[in-house]
Amino acid sequence: MSDEKIGNKKIDRRSLLKFLGVAGAAAGASVMVPDNVISESKKMMFAKAEGDSEKGRQSYEVKPGEYDDYYGFWSGGHSGELRIVGIPSMRELRRIPVFNVDCGTGWGITNESKKLMNGFIVGDTHHVHGSYKDGTYDGKYLYVNDKINARIARIRLDYMETDAIIDVPNAQGLHGTFPQRHPKTEWLVSNTEFQIPVPNNPGAPQNQYYGLHTIIDAEKMAVLCQIMVEENLDLAATDYQGKYSMSTSYNSEQGVTVSEMLAADHDYLIVFHWERIREALRKNNYKTINGVKVIDGRRGKSDIVLRIPVPKNPHGVNISPDGKYAVCSGKVSPTCSVVEIAKLDLAFAGKIKPEECVVAQPEIGLGPLHTTFDGRGNAITSVFIDSTNVKWNIAKAIEAEKQGPEAKKARPHIVDVLDIHYQVGHIMATMAETKEADGKWLVSLNKMSKDRFINVGPLKPECEQLVDISGEKLRIVHDGSTYIEPHDCIMVRRDMLEPKVKHRYDMFENPLAVTKSGVERKGKDVTVRLTANAPMYGLQEVKLKKGDKVTVIVTNHDEISDLTHGFALSNYNINFIVSPFQTKSVTFTADKPGVYWAYCTNFCHALHLEMRMRFIVEA
Amino acid sequence: MKRLILLSALLFAFYPLSAYSDQWKLFEHRYEYKPEDVLQATKFVQKKGYWEGFKDDKLAGYVFLSKEWTSKLVGYSGKHLETLIGMDTNGDITGVKIIFHSEPIVLIGLKEEYYLNFIKQYKDRNIKEPVSVGKEISMDAITGATVTAVVQNSIILESARKVAEAAGLLKAAQASGKKLSQKYAELTWEELKKSEAVKSIVVTTKELGLEDEGDYIDLYVANVTPPSIGRNILGDVFYKDIMSTIKEGESAVAIFSKGKGSFKGSGFARGGTFDRFNIEQGSKVYLFTDKDYRVLSGIKAEGAPAINEGGVFFIKDRDFVPVLPFKLTLLLPYRLSAAKKEFRSFRMEYGIPERFLE
Repeated sequence: MSDEKIGNKKIDRRSLLKFLGVAGAAAGASVMVPDNVISESKKMMFAKAEGDSEKGRQSYEVKPGEYDDYYGFWSGGHSGELRIVGIPSMRELRRIPVFNVDCGTGWGITNESKKLMNGFIVGDTHHVHGSYKDGTYDGKYLYVNDKINARIARIRLDYMETDAIIDVPNAQGLHGTFPQRHPKTEWLVSNTEFQIPVPNNPGAPQNQYYGLHTIIDAEKMAVLCQIMVEENLDLAATDYQGKYSMSTSYNSEQGVTVSEMLAADHDYLIVFHWERIREALRKNNYKTINGVKVIDGRRGKSDIVLRIPVPKNPHGVNISPDGKYAVCSGKVSPTCSVVEIAKLDLAFAGKIKPEECVVAQPEIGLGPLHTTFDGRGNAITSVFIDSTNVKWNIAKAIEAEKQGPEAKKARPHIVDVLDIHYQVGHIMATMAETKEADGKWLVSLNKMSKDRFINVGPLKPECEQLVDISGEKLRIVHDGSTYIEPHDCIMVRRDMLEPKVKHRYDMFENPLAVTKSGVERKGKDVTVRLTANAPMYGLQEVKLKKGDKVTVIVTNHDEISDLTHGFALSNYNINFIVSPFQTKSVTFTADKPGVYWAYCTNFCHALHLEMRMRFIVEA
Repeated sequence: MKRLILLSALLFAFYPLSAYSDQWKLFEHRYEYKPEDVLQATKFVQKKGYWEGFKDDKLAGYVFLSKEWTSKLVGYSGKHLETLIGMDTNGDITGVKIIFHSEPIVLIGLKEEYYLNFIKQYKDRNIKEPVSVGKEISMDAITGATVTAVVQNSIILESARKVAEAAGLLKAAQASGKKLSQKYAELTWEELKKSEAVKSIVVTTKELGLEDEGDYIDLYVANVTPPSIGRNILGDVFYKDIMSTIKEGESAVAIFSKGKGSFKGSGFARGGTFDRFNIEQGSKVYLFTDKDYRVLSGIKAEGAPAINEGGVFFIKDRDFVPVLPFKLTLLLPYRLSAAKKEFRSFRMEYGIPERFLE
């Protein structure tokens, strides 16, 4: 297909001609287009301005000076961090250190971050989700799990900074984290992918290894209770009514080897009944284990848990934006199971069997892992083994199921199959985990990039492909490279966050904020308080004695947005940065006598290089 | 509007360490002054905020310190440029002297002498007339220090005009008694332009003496506070967001442009102050900073052109009267060749049309 370049904008010839209503124009004829016609695509922020002719042909170019339409929040896998990616440009805008040490910002180096990290320096972030109000993002927080050390972190979105990290007791392989969607996020659920003895007694037999569905108070960031089941609990979702949370399980066998985990021919979508959880707590119907209220949800012991059988070893569970269906992606089975949420109450009441909640089981492809939605009745499922994104229509799948096996065989639900590059894991469409799913873009988080980028050695980047889903067909428009190893993401409309994100800190939110530079000594404990004001720290030198325990507190007094200062202390292994009006501190032992220059590491001023001061450690 | 860093001024009071203050002196230049430096007179009588100067017992003019009138206007350094100004009874400037500044141009780059030469241009300018950098006032002396130049210009003019009002030389602008209409009507781009809810300045490459064809910059301005202007330009979501940022009585002005010329420039990145445009109303000059601004990347109204640059700028000062006209001055730097940088200044008047008032 030939491309026409007009101005700075590349336009696909065929769509251009169609757009201009001159599809019959001779190939090769030059086409004059008024400036403002081409620019229409740039006005994606105004939904109204889009014509039908643009469906499936969205502009993904974000020109210099333009903004992206979406904030993408990416987990960072075993890098332990989160990232902010602009959509559709796929530009990495920021990294948010969470469970990892980040010497650029000083996360894991400053006293404040170390307190949150509590001695751990590795993490594996999988599922990142925003806090909700009435089925859509309220722009307050992000939540993300750490699979390695069983923790949950919260990120406040005004500063885009981690503000709480909590341990989840009795859990290993903490996975599948999802906030309450309705009426607002009061609870947050997270799963135990690895069953362990509860409490963790090394002598416990294998059949006493349990999975726990943990409920967290999302505002207080404290574990409220856990529901204990035999199954492992993989991915999680909450409904749109505030009634249920649910988890897939691939190891209902309580196996500890691969073959044991694959033994049974079915596993479950497990649904948790929230009102009954509240009732159990009210009635003290729990045991306290490691300080947590643990409710027994084992088979035959509880009416809180509904086990819906699905083909063995399923993976993701995702709720359609209309709140009607939970789609459980088959992984080992080539199907997705569509569960009608309205039937869950009947099944909990014993009026129908759990398996009767499944209203369709369409065949999707080999290795369906996760499903996302376009808000127009279609689901798009990532298919790992086939290396595809499969778009399928939920209503048609249900209809074919009703009609029987012959109708299903024709696969009337399949709308489009897109080859991706390569081996997709998670998949996510813009706003797809909210009732405001808008069907504009999708990102296929592919686990292998293989030959898609210039060779950077045996360790290749991930390949996250941007897909235009605004039309009938799926269209790849961009290969985005990422470093180790995002799992999941959400994409939030820019207007939902923009007014809430700040340019500078509230200085006095931090009680340590320095307004007056100076040195205070109490025996061997020395506190050095420094203002940072381009191009100077508040002191030019500090005298210390060998063996002093020194706390340096730095407050950035520059108000200009983006004027961040650093503080590095030579040969003392210290660096951190402070953004406008931010305060951070670090404590170290002055164990090496000599003259040590502290300097500003974050470019701040024409005299940035002169922004330094001496720490003189006397022997 | 900006007008920041009172905080850093306050903090200075806390720094007791002499070593520290000594260091700061490197960045600060303070000079002695007497009223005779800027006005020929034999006797000076202290008034509120200014001196009256008498020659042979006849009123010769006024002398005043800028920080009494415009301390909120700060330079690249974040500090006010303290200026001593003399003005005769016609409103002609008789002399200007810098008495304190800490602008980095004296630290690196330009010589302070150049700055003092720049200041000399104000002598004999009449403050009842428009005086803009790049037009009446040449940038040649301090090319590159545009933030300093533009802030200095605003300080001199606004201080002098306020003194002129206080002394009865100028009449203060009177509000009309009208207010902004809250009614909404959907308007196309053509309708917005035709009604003069949006006004523009077009600067062609030809008039700048550049070789390329076409418009160098088409600059548009609109007071987007009334819903019929704001919602049509910004879109409902952004308009609502903007309105929740400002309070009753404050204003939001959208400025946006097409073409390769830039009205935002890059001066605001480090100094915080936009140095290529300002708004004047009566005696007041409004400069904008990165704190009073949101990026505008597209115009909603049907038929609107694609824009290259845009911003919504807030005027939070209570002395701005939204229903009265204001002047927008654009200071446009451009290069005739790689080595030759020029400045030109353009002005337009904007007032919210009657149909958006009630």
